[in-house]
Amino acid sequence: MSADLIMSGLQQGLILAIIAYGVMIPFRFLDFADMTADGAYPLGGAICAVCLSSGIHPAAAIPVSMICSGIMGICTALIYLKFRINSMLAGVILSAMAYSVNLRIMGKPNIPLFDCGGLFSANIYANMLIIFALLVGCIIPFAVFLRTDFGLRFRAVGLNPNLAKLQGIGVEKYTVFGLFFAGALFGLAGSLIVQLQSYMDAGIGVGMLIHGLAALMLGEAVSGNATLNRQLAAPLTGALLYQQAQGVALSLGLAPSDLKFFTGSIVLTVIALKKTGKIFGR
Amino acid sequence: MLQLNNITKSFGGVFEPVLKGINLLLKEGEFCTVIGANGSGKSTLMKIISGEYSADSGEIRRCGEVSQVVQDVNMGTIPSMTMLENVALSRMKTPRFSFYKRHKNEIADKIKSLNIGLEKFIDQPLSVLSGGQRQTIAILMAINSGRKILLLDEHTSALDPKMQKLLMEYTVKSVREQRITTLMITHNLEDAVKYGDRLIMMHKGRIVADLKGREKSELKIQSLPEMFRKFEDQNSVYDGGADVR
Repeated sequence: MSADLIMSGLQQGLILAIIAYGVMIPFRFLDFADMTADGAYPLGGAICAVCLSSGIHPAAAIPVSMICSGIMGICTALIYLKFRINSMLAGVILSAMAYSVNLRIMGKPNIPLFDCGGLFSANIYANMLIIFALLVGCIIPFAVFLRTDFGLRFRAVGLNPNLAKLQGIGVEKYTVFGLFFAGALFGLAGSLIVQLQSYMDAGIGVGMLIHGLAALMLGEAVSGNATLNRQLAAPLTGALLYQQAQGVALSLGLAPSDLKFFTGSIVLTVIALKKTGKIFGR
Repeated sequence: MLQLNNITKSFGGVFEPVLKGINLLLKEGEFCTVIGANGSGKSTLMKIISGEYSADSGEIRRCGEVSQVVQDVNMGTIPSMTMLENVALSRMKTPRFSFYKRHKNEIADKIKSLNIGLEKFIDQPLSVLSGGQRQTIAILMAINSGRKILLLDEHTSALDPKMQKLLMEYTVKSVREQRITTLMITHNLEDAVKYGDRLIMMHKGRIVADLKGREKSELKIQSLPEMFRKFEDQNSVYDGGADVR
């Protein structure tokens, strides 16, 4: 495997880590099977692409994308909470709807952004530093939040909803907040990938959830999730390893079109190992 | 204070009502035990008091918020969280953006007051503890929550006799000190006679006996089965008085 492939894998891995954190929040802290990633990620990309092509500064396009995708997360939460629709179904329906919304926002299926500038340059190290800074800028405050009174309540919502209600914790409020934050992370990842590739396509979100989930599960298998610190380290560890594994698969001659099969195999292997107690992380 | 006026509850029209006109007044700090056969309506009564079920008719007045400890240890605690986090969770009536670990010493003192050496596990997940130890923490959490009404639904039934005694004594001491109005369901007749200021017997959705004061203190455990038999075939109704009818 070439050094270029490794570095490119690390860069992609950092963006995938943002998605994996977005997957981790509802799945692990709220016990909410959120499927919004496939819709919120391209929504962030579409908003960012339109902002950039309208001449808005690339740095300003990122928070706009995050807020829009975060609102999509809120919509999923409200559909689940108010209409009692299954969380997975709510996410799948909204993701399907988001495809049409994205096409409306973009006005066409894809937008080339080669002349619009962006945060990134040809220097891969500088690019990685920017992505890492944005990732840390989102996750460190969240890690601090989890150690406060509010954060403890947030964690209790997913771990024991009945106890949370008995303790007077507003489960709905925390669910809405969690899904907003997760959606915002998907939006951040979408806007970063669009700026990195200087290109937005309406189909970029297909399979993002499974990539994020695979990275999360791989990370949990390696670093474990028995403590808060291990749980918070898992998405980053998993995403970096997962992208390198994809790099290895490509260098071994696997076609890019085979990667979805490869991804699914990783998820199934990790689940099987977990079920049989052969997993190594704690 | 906890007051129930003519509470009725049924689950679907074809079934007989589970609760039939329950009247009950518990004063602040009063400890009342509830006994009765399975299906007599004890747990439904608890769920109506806690707000989990709504009554079909009648009125309920609570002097404050309700905390609850049930038989299932996993309902009252979070096993994957540390002991510190569990107890910290219960003390937050008004959460803030402050770090809960700042209260570690205060929480450690509370755990130490249990006198069963649990304080050394303060930073360990509750899953490492035995069922009895976890239930003790659940009681500590309920009492620590500052709520004025405590509901206990067979909370010691899954424990060994030594742990049951220890937990009951801690419960009684703590609710007395904090003047918490307590309603405890139990199938353990010895506990029902030994603990509490008042004993209520339920039968087919009605309160059929309510013993307090001298009647309660002079009650012998041997007389309870006979009392149960007495109500088995008659429709005696307690309407808020203190006598066995």
